[in-house]
Order: sequence, then structure tokens, then C-alpha cells
Amino acid sequence: MSLLKTHYEKDLYPEIEEAGDSDFARDCVEIAAERLEKGEISRRTFVTALTALGMLPAAMTLGGGDAAADDGEIVVVNWGGPAVNAYYNAFGVPFEKSSGLKVVIDGTGPLGSKIRAMVESGAVTWDVCDTGPGTTLVLQKAGVLQDIDYSIVDRAKILKPFDYVAGCANYTFSYILAYNSERVPQAPKGWADFWNLEAFPGDRTLRKQPVGMMEICLMAAGVPKEEIYPIDIDKAVAKLKEIKDNVIVWGSGSQSQELFRSGEVVMGALWHTRANLLHKESDGKTTWTWNEGVVTAGMWNVPKDNPAGTKAAMDFIASAQDPAQQIVLFEAMGNGPANPAAAKLVPPDQQYIDPGQPQNLALQVFQNADWYEADSGVRGLTNDALSREKWIDALSS
Amino acid sequence: MNAALRLRYWALIAPAILLLLIFYIFPLVQVLWLSVTEPVFGLDNYAELWDRPLLHRIWWTTFRICAITTAITVVAGYAVAYAMRLVGEQQRTWMLFCVLLTFWLSVLVRAFAWVMLLRTEGMINVGLQEIGLITQPMRLVRNEIGVIIGMVHFMLPLAVLPIYSNMTGINMRLMSAARGLGASPIRTFWSIYLPLSKPGIIAAVILVFVFSLGFFITPAILGGGRVMMISEYIRVSFEETLRWGQATMLASTLLFAVLLTLAVFARFVDLKKVFGAR
Amino acid sequence: MKDPRVIYGRCFVLGLAWTVLAFMVLPMVIVIPVSLTDQYYLSLPQEEISFQHYVAFFEKEIWLEATLDSVIVATAATFFSVILGTLCTIGCWRLATSWSEAARTFLLVPIIVPTIVQALALYRFWIDLDIIDTYIGTILAHTLVAMPYVVITVSASLANFDVRLEQAARNLGASTLQTIRMVILPSIRPGMLSGALFAFTISFDEIVMVLFITSRNVYTLPKRIWDGIQDHLDPTIASVATLLIAITLALLLTDLWVRQRRKSRLASGTTNET
Repeated sequence: MSLLKTHYEKDLYPEIEEAGDSDFARDCVEIAAERLEKGEISRRTFVTALTALGMLPAAMTLGGGDAAADDGEIVVVNWGGPAVNAYYNAFGVPFEKSSGLKVVIDGTGPLGSKIRAMVESGAVTWDVCDTGPGTTLVLQKAGVLQDIDYSIVDRAKILKPFDYVAGCANYTFSYILAYNSERVPQAPKGWADFWNLEAFPGDRTLRKQPVGMMEICLMAAGVPKEEIYPIDIDKAVAKLKEIKDNVIVWGSGSQSQELFRSGEVVMGALWHTRANLLHKESDGKTTWTWNEGVVTAGMWNVPKDNPAGTKAAMDFIASAQDPAQQIVLFEAMGNGPANPAAAKLVPPDQQYIDPGQPQNLALQVFQNADWYEADSGVRGLTNDALSREKWIDALSS
Repeated sequence: MNAALRLRYWALIAPAILLLLIFYIFPLVQVLWLSVTEPVFGLDNYAELWDRPLLHRIWWTTFRICAITTAITVVAGYAVAYAMRLVGEQQRTWMLFCVLLTFWLSVLVRAFAWVMLLRTEGMINVGLQEIGLITQPMRLVRNEIGVIIGMVHFMLPLAVLPIYSNMTGINMRLMSAARGLGASPIRTFWSIYLPLSKPGIIAAVILVFVFSLGFFITPAILGGGRVMMISEYIRVSFEETLRWGQATMLASTLLFAVLLTLAVFARFVDLKKVFGAR
Repeated sequence: MKDPRVIYGRCFVLGLAWTVLAFMVLPMVIVIPVSLTDQYYLSLPQEEISFQHYVAFFEKEIWLEATLDSVIVATAATFFSVILGTLCTIGCWRLATSWSEAARTFLLVPIIVPTIVQALALYRFWIDLDIIDTYIGTILAHTLVAMPYVVITVSASLANFDVRLEQAARNLGASTLQTIRMVILPSIRPGMLSGALFAFTISFDEIVMVLFITSRNVYTLPKRIWDGIQDHLDPTIASVATLLIAITLALLLTDLWVRQRRKSRLASGTTNET
């Protein structure tokens, strides 16, 4: 039932664009499941990690149905995935102990359109949702989210600038330059090298959608990091066209990994989690640089009139700021802790995987979700919608 | 037949017709309707067809690929069908077998096999490199070449079967007579056999062109996001940019293009025969 | 003696035809060795032939569940489309008015509507009906697109059926249903059978609509293969492909064998009479 509604509401509110926010969250679930299957992580780590990600149901109602909130419960909504039941032990119990509330997790997938439909129909069953910066801004504009109560949630425990009015970061991830060190003459330093077909021959991979990629195009064109926003879409697209004959696009995280495995590409702009997996399975032959990466975050949202009340939802988010939980997630999948304090807890030999380490952050650009959701001035489209059109246009021309 | 009996037979027809009306035609009409109401009432979505170069290019790509596919498929299919008329029973059975096997095999399996064969690290490139014919891998997939190879492969049985079925009706004695009168083999073929096989060719052209227009799977897989045909862009509008108005407008135009093609060809052949319904 | 030009021409046509035919079967031929590879990536067997990827198919829940889903949907869709399509065709054939002919033509509409347009339309309506991502919704969609093929094959069978047989049955007092069951159905069974085969194949192979109207509850085999091609090209897909090729091959050979037997029986039947 829940899924039907999800689809329906996506259509009711077509303007609510997920902005690809949730794709990364889904990919994380996939990565964890793969690693679990290979025996690289224990089921317990897996479950704890997904817990920290806010992605696994603690006590899912059977059949994946909507968790209906009762008194004394808090419903956290995320992107589902395998091994759902065990989450409760890992994450639900601690919060239950500290709050006295029962934690119920719903793995339906908190599509922005669904959150909006719930609030507008006055039938809110969710307390805390895992979305992305784009969705957060759209929902905030639509007035269906509660402002984050920063007297309960500690702003200092959130990587700036991902402390939005109606949402705050629960983890971070980056688009980075990954390369197969055996097939490039020397390590590429940044996107200018990525665009240099003569010095670095071979095919490259970029994402099918423009989010994160246009920033990369502009850096390749020599635009300084601090001047990337507002993005000049035409300039970015023109830069893409320069190398497009040598570009293979990826649609999903696993596809980006596959392109490296099969040797079809020598370089690519990937999610750092996928680059990390490639790094491991190739014994370091495939690696990446943080230089000129684009860092962004997953977001907690609280819908208006949430059943458990504002305080309980904020308490939950606050408890999820615990660095220890975020480290467990990081160790399992490489997702960056959203709490800067957690950066120090990362073991030295693991710091190269963490996008949130100060030395890594210094090399990267922070994605600006505000720009994506702003009006482009063309046919009433947002910058996000317009850039998608132009990106597809360039790729297929 | 009395009225009661007629009514009884209509009762047999009714369930299927009603099912189709309610669960198929109604949703189709709804989609056509959405194209003039989403996001606001009017022809704004259709105006984009004129205004936006992207849409011009997508339609042009679609027609170009369809035309090339149709041309290659019909010529190659004709050769197979003609050969089937020339050879003996046994060889003909084998030929037909190859055609039917392709026809019945899952379209996804075929697309998968082509990806495997054509990619830069695929069998064809590796094989050619090993025997030293090429030094650099050729780009055979994730571009128009790959899409056309896949589409021709999919459509070939749709061309061979109607052409062959038409050819079985051609009286070979006409050819002998022409030869007896001193016409060269090529001339006999050109002025007698080819015109006689025209209905088969037209049927093949219709089938291949119409199915190519709205073809989704093969371009999506072998185009690798780089070849934007109309079906793929409908998916993008629907799934990625969530623009229902645009998606339904393009769907309506695609449907219209198909109907137009059929209407044009209906003047030359019996369409029901082409689709095997007579 | 034969004109050399005829011989050359013949050689040319045959050469061309076999080249095209080789192109047609090439992908199928290559999938089979790849499925037997001993490597974990797509390649020809390097050192030995291995059945590990078949084992993987039969051990992995996702593939088995997908196969089961496909069988369920295709069987049900075949059942409904054959019943509805056959009844409708009989009605149209018996009435034989311009109206009934129009009705029959109308049933063929799904053949010409591009699949993506269908998918979009049904998706929209299935949402309103709350049958997105359900077996009912998928079966209904497949029934609708398979029905025209049943109509076509049954129509072909009926074309050879003698109307007088039906009239005779009615004159002997048989009711409409009795006539259909005892006189018409037995003689159009081949048409129904080949219609069923068409319907099953169409449903079993259908991907475009499934991509739109299903999500997680219904996960058919084509959708699994589709995901595999998009994300991770592994030899398990090659083994699935080989299994599908084998099934197709078996069906075709059976069909060929049945035809041959029928033909030889007919031939011997005629000799006996003379």
C-alpha cells in the first residue's frame, strides 16, 4: 500500500523533484548488502551502519507497510533495504533507553512528494525522514517541514553549511576524481587533467545527471572554487561537450564501479564510497583524489504535525549526532560523519576515506543546494530542471 | 440469425471490448488529455515542439535511426527471403529456423548479448585486436552504431517473414517465361520479380518502421544514455525531470506519428493483412 | 546448361542471406560459452569450463524469485487473454457484421500503440486504481497487450472452420455454450494454443510496462536482467540468457517436430485413401 501512495504523490506534486538526493542513500544500502554478502562486514556492523545512516527500519511492520504511529512511538523513515529487522537492536534500543519512546522504522523511502502529501492531507505518520538538501529546500519552501530546533539539536555537531533551517546533515558524501593508476601516465591532479585527453588518453565516466557534474565542468574550465555558484549552465555544458566523445555516463553507483572493473574507463567522477570499494578490490590500483571534489550531505527532516511531537523528533536527531554511531557507519561504508567532532575519532589509517577530514574538506567544494532550487528564469523551470535538460541535450548531441 | 442469438454472441465479445475500453483506451485518452492540461490548460506543451531545439533534435535522431534501420533491415531481410525461395526444402527449414529463433528469443537477452559483443572490452574488439586487424578498440556501442546494430537485429524477422510469405505466392513460371523470351537474369528479377514482391516489401517497411518509431529497450541499453530517441526522452521527462505535461505531449506526438505512418501506407496495402489479422 | 550469370547470382544471394542469418544467430552463439566461463567477469572460459554461474542462478533468491514472478504473471496473463480473446473472436466471427468486424479490429489496437505510450498511460491509471506494483495490475496490463495476438491466431483458425458444422449443431438443439464447447473449441484448438504461446512469450519477455507499473513487490525476470545490464554485467546474466535460449530452442524444435509429424500423417492419410 505504502508504495502505491508513494508513486501517486510523486505525480500529484511533480514539482517536488528529488534532485537525486535519495540516489546516494539507496546506493549505500546496496553497497552494504554487497559487502555483507561477501563477508567483509558482519551482520551486526551492517545493521548498525544502516541504523546510523537512518536507513533501516528498527521494527518494521510486516510486509513493508506504513508504520502507523501509536502513542509513545517515534517513526523514522528511510530507504529500506535488506536485513531490516536487526536494526532495532542496534539503534532503536539506545534511543528507547534514553527517551522511553519506542522506535519504529519505516523503510518505505521518504519521497519529498509523499511528505508533502501527508502534511497537506493532515495524515502525518512520520516523525523523522532521511532526505537530501534539494528535497529539504523544496519542502521548506512548500512550508511542510518543521524548523530544526537548534536548542536541542547541536548546530556545532553539524558540518557547515549543512545546517539548514528545516533540515540538518546526517552524513556527508563527495563526488571525487577516481582513476586507474595503471592506465594513466601519472596521477591526475584535478579536473583540468581529467579534461586533458592527450596527456591522459582513454575513456572517462561522468554521472548521467548534472548535479555535482556541472561544478566539475566549471573547475575544469578554470573557474575558481569560490566562484562556481551561481553556476553558468551553458559554460558547464560547453565544457562537457569538449570531451563528450570520450565520456561514458553512469546511472547507478554499481554501474560506475563496473565501468572501472571492466576496464572501459580510466578515470571517472564517482561517489567516494564507490571509489573506496574499487580501491579495496583492486589493491589500491584504482584510487582517487579529494582535490576539487564536490561534497554534499544526507539530511534529516521533520514533517509538520508529526505524531510523536516536535520534541521527540528533535531528541532523536540529537541522539543520532553521537560521533560513535557515525563512526560505525563510516567504518562500514565510508559515509562521512556529519559531526565534525567525529572526524578526530576516525583511525589515522582510515582518514583518507573520510570526506569530512579537515585536510580533505579543504580541497573540496561544498554543494550549494540553494542554487539548484532557485528559479532559472527560463520557462518557469528551476535551475535543477533546466540543467537536467541541457545536460541530456549535450550528452546526446 | 435472430436478435436473441445475436445478443448472445455480442455477450461473448463484450468482456474483451469492455476490458480494453476501460483499462486501455481510457488511460490512453487520459494521457492525451494531460498533454493539454499539465501544468496549465492550453497548447503550451505542443508549442515547445516548435520552440526547443532539443526536441527538434530528438525527433530528427528518431527518424534518422528509424529510416536507416528500416532500409538495412528490409534489404537484408529481402535477401534472406529470396534465398529461401531459391534453396531446397532442407536448407529452407534451417534458414527459417534461424529467423524464428531470433524472432522468439527474449529482446533483453539479445540486447545483453550485443552489449557483451560490442563494448570496447567486448568480444569483437578483443578478437579483432588479437588477430591484428585493429590496434585501437572501435566504438561500437553507447552510440548510434550500437543502437542501429541492435535494432536491425531485432527487426530482421519482422522483415523476413512478410516478404517471404508474399514471395511464396509468386508464380515462378513467370520468371522462366521472361528468361525464355531472352531477358537477362538481372532484368528478369528487376522488372518481374521485384514488382511482384512489392506488397511484401511494403508490409516489411511498415512493420519495421512503426515498431522502430516507438522502440525503447534496445536504444536504452545499447545507446548508453548517449542516443536520445523519443521513447527514451519520454522516460526521462517522466522519471527524471518529472514533467508530465512534456512526457504526455511527446507520447501523444509519437502515437500520432505512428498513426500517420499507418494512414499513409494504408493506401497501398491492407494493413490488417500486414499485422497478420486477416 | 545453366546461364553462368544465374549461378553467380544465386551464389551472391545465398552468400548474402547466410551472412545475414549468421548475424542473427551470432549473439546467441556467443552467450553460451560466456555463461560457462570460469572467471567472475564476462569472458570466454580461460582454463576450464565451469557451471558456477548456473549454480549462482539456482542459488540466488533474487533470480529464482524473479523467475517465479514471471511465471505467475505470464501464466495468469495467458489464461485470461486466451479466454477473453477466444470468446470475443468467436463472437465476431459468428456475427460477421461490419460492427463485429470493427470490434475485432478495435481489439488489435494495442499492437500499434508504442509500448512507452502504453506504459505511461497504464502507470497513470494504475495509480488511480491503486494497483501499481501488484500482481493484479501486472497481469491485467499483460492480458491487454497479449489479447490481440490471441485474436489473430484464433481468427486464422476460424477462417478454416466450416460454419455449417456450427449450424448443424444448433439445429440438433445444442445451446450456444454447448455449440462453442463441443463443436467450435475443439477445431480451433491449434489457434488457441499458438495464441497462448504468443501470449505467454509476450508477457514473459515484457519489460517496458513492468519498468513503469512495478517497483519492489513484483520483480519479474526481465526486470532483473534489465537491472543486471544497467548495473553489473556478470556472467550470471549470460547463464540466464542461455537458459532462455535453450527454452526457446526446445519450443521451436517441438513445434517443428509436430508440424513434420502432422505433415507426414496427412501424406500417409491421403495415400491410404487412394
